[in-house]
Amino acid sequence: MATSSASKRLFKEYRGLSNDPPEGITAGPVTEDDMFLWEALIQGPEGTPFEGGVFPAELKFPKDYPLAPPTMKFLTEMWHPNVYPDGRVCISILHPPGDDPHQYEQASERWSPIQSTEKILISVMSMLAEPNDESPANVDAARMWRERRSDYEQIVRQNVRKSLGL
Amino acid sequence: MAEQTLNIPQLVVFIIVAVLSVRWYLAKPPAGRTRIAPVPHRDSRINPTHVDQLAQMFPQCDRRQIAWDLQRNGGNVAATTERVLSGRGLDTPPASFNPPLSRSTPPSRTPTPAAKPSQPDLITRYNLASKISSSADSATNTSESKGKAWSSDRDERQANLQRRREEMILAARRKLEQKEKAKA
Repeated sequence: MATSSASKRLFKEYRGLSNDPPEGITAGPVTEDDMFLWEALIQGPEGTPFEGGVFPAELKFPKDYPLAPPTMKFLTEMWHPNVYPDGRVCISILHPPGDDPHQYEQASERWSPIQSTEKILISVMSMLAEPNDESPANVDAARMWRERRSDYEQIVRQNVRKSLGL
Repeated sequence: MAEQTLNIPQLVVFIIVAVLSVRWYLAKPPAGRTRIAPVPHRDSRINPTHVDQLAQMFPQCDRRQIAWDLQRNGGNVAATTERVLSGRGLDTPPASFNPPLSRSTPPSRTPTPAAKPSQPDLITRYNLASKISSSADSATNTSESKGKAWSSDRDERQANLQRRREEMILAARRKLEQKEKAKA
């Protein structure tokens, strides 16, 4: 039962995202045979070094979605303070309310069933523009972002070009 | 008589306590030994590829610390991953701890760059090489077809999603190409 209500909800979100996609975001299941694995494309926000880039990410939903949040992982190289070197995204909306090892996130920012995949994707997009320095997932990128911003931006731009095959 | 009946339970208790404490004393040294004994045994269980994997995932962690944590949790990669992610960090291994890393460290250098291209660029990933040249003409069609993204037909939906993905990537590539041409 839990599984079918989860896939029903995911199907509804898929329809919403297809009919009225947020600017710069394309998302949906890899195949409809498995509603629990999605692939999303996020455009780099304008006015940031990510501008012009398109970043693919994989979303894995738990069987008890929307009680528990999905996990999100970028599939191309990302140089960002809040993205682990293996691509996993570390952002408060992907954390369940009860699980906050660092105790700095507000409950309202974290995952709850009233959030949605669309909100996650929008949050991640704005995270690209404004890294959260308090919880670096990639310590080296965070340090570079703080101390050598131009080097950081150069790496990001290089990754954008590489990911588009240029 | 009353004195004796009182003494018997006391005596029983005393004997039990005595037996237990003697057994405890006797058991202690072997227990200490068995705790040491599995160490060399477990040593062989640390899979260097697991250490490589974790070191790649968490470049901020020392390889010896990773190996030490793996050894203590019986080679459980997931547990070590969780531990690092939870922010608890890894313990510093004792100086006597010599994991079999020297062998795996040099090879791990080469797989690292080799592993990077395993994330192909978007053009390769979505098989768009053939569409790059033709994309310029189709640019006009895209805005028209955007209207009906949702279809009641499952295959059509899938195709629509696929098309939207491709358009997004090709448009981004086109834009970047033009920008670079303008610069040059």
